Amino acid sequence: MKIDCTIDGKTLTLSLNSNKPLSLILRENIGVDSINHCSGKMCGLCTVLLDGKAVLSCLVPAFELNGKEVITFDSFQRTKGIKDIEKAYETVGATPCTDCYASRTLIFESLVNEGITDREEILKQLSLVRCHCMVPDDEVEIVHKAIDIRRKRNVRRPQFS
Amino acid sequence: MYEGLSSPNIHTPKNMQEYSSIILHYPSSSLWAGGTYIMSRPDAYPSNKLNQEIIYLGGMEELHRFQRNDRFAEFGSMVTLDEIISTGKTVLPKVLIDNIENIGSRLITRRATIGGALATSGMTTTFPGTLIVLDANVEVKFIKKKRLHSRWMQLTRLLDRNGHLVLPPQGMISRVRIAFTDKNYQKFSSIGSFMTKAEDAVSVAFATTLNQDVLMNPTIAFTYPKLGILYSRDVDNVFSSLRFPLDDKEYRSLEMILFTFIDSTFQEISELQRVRTQGILRGIVDDLNEKALTMPQYEEG
Repeated sequence: MKIDCTIDGKTLTLSLNSNKPLSLILRENIGVDSINHCSGKMCGLCTVLLDGKAVLSCLVPAFELNGKEVITFDSFQRTKGIKDIEKAYETVGATPCTDCYASRTLIFESLVNEGITDREEILKQLSLVRCHCMVPDDEVEIVHKAIDIRRKRNVRRPQFS
Repeated sequence: MYEGLSSPNIHTPKNMQEYSSIILHYPSSSLWAGGTYIMSRPDAYPSNKLNQEIIYLGGMEELHRFQRNDRFAEFGSMVTLDEIISTGKTVLPKVLIDNIENIGSRLITRRATIGGALATSGMTTTFPGTLIVLDANVEVKFIKKKRLHSRWMQLTRLLDRNGHLVLPPQGMISRVRIAFTDKNYQKFSSIGSFMTKAEDAVSVAFATTLNQDVLMNPTIAFTYPKLGILYSRDVDNVFSSLRFPLDDKEYRSLEMILFTFIDSTFQEISELQRVRTQGILRGIVDDLNEKALTMPQYEEG
């Protein structure tokens, strides 16, 4: 099956098995090593942004990718967005461990994008990452801080279309 | 890897006419809603099924619609659980909201659909039990004499004797109608993971109105993912006959009666499931005892 999609800013046409999970596509066809493939065990370590929203890539089949945009942590760390999240880590004084850094950062980015400030909502979204390296209060504070930082950055540099 | 294996054919109908012509042409095809359950199976990829045909329902706009009036809410089967929460959190029955919130992260609920949660093949999710308690109706589309027919029916009518939801051959759930309820005690409890440790998981949905010390129209459904759903009018009647608060002796007798029903329906319930069911039941009775004791009584005279 031919799939047209954008992965990490590159528009690609891939010839794939139609039910191949996105996590395996990224590992085997694109060469992204930071993604874990857990065969749908929902470990939370295969998170990517699909059209700007965090999803578990092991649950997304190839045929659903047609026309979609996928951003992995590899390309996200070259954007300005990560600086807001990293600044929030610094301010709060808590950083995820190396195992879950990529997934947690992408989920934080998704929460910041959606502007979610509700504590329960934040914790529920992050509950999927089973790594216990962060305290719930810190996670909530990081999201609040990152939203503040991004708001200030956007006010300073308004984007004109 | 596995690129040489035969790739399933994906059909993406845009409307019901296209769907009916595809299902007539490929009667043994599998339906794909959100795909969260299918993709989490160990044999999801590479699939050992040859010449597999998949009908992806995500392209049918009519299955994404939802509407609501002052009596009920109606959801297309492709409406995601996250959309249900965001549109109806304040009006939908608490037992349904608790069930959706119990699933966990939005990364899952954003993909899982109500239709998929009801018609998962090979296991029972927590949703059919909850919707049975809410007396939900579903619209079933099925093929008869080479034509697509549709019929609204109560979800309980799709339950077979073993507690499994059974759809007609080549049938699909297209809409789900949930009536708003004013029952003053609604509880959803689930212990264990339905996705990863299904053999030990259990969920219970319960809804009733506690009036003074008796329960009006109680409905309860026990769900064991690998075995099925226990829902029976007889079990509901057991609850109707109780007067709250229950003392320890009455509670033990209730537990014994309920386990007689459960054991006669499912012989293979595990010890852990039994203990977990007891725990949930104890929680429900404790809640009702507390509610009965704190409820303002009618003043005489």
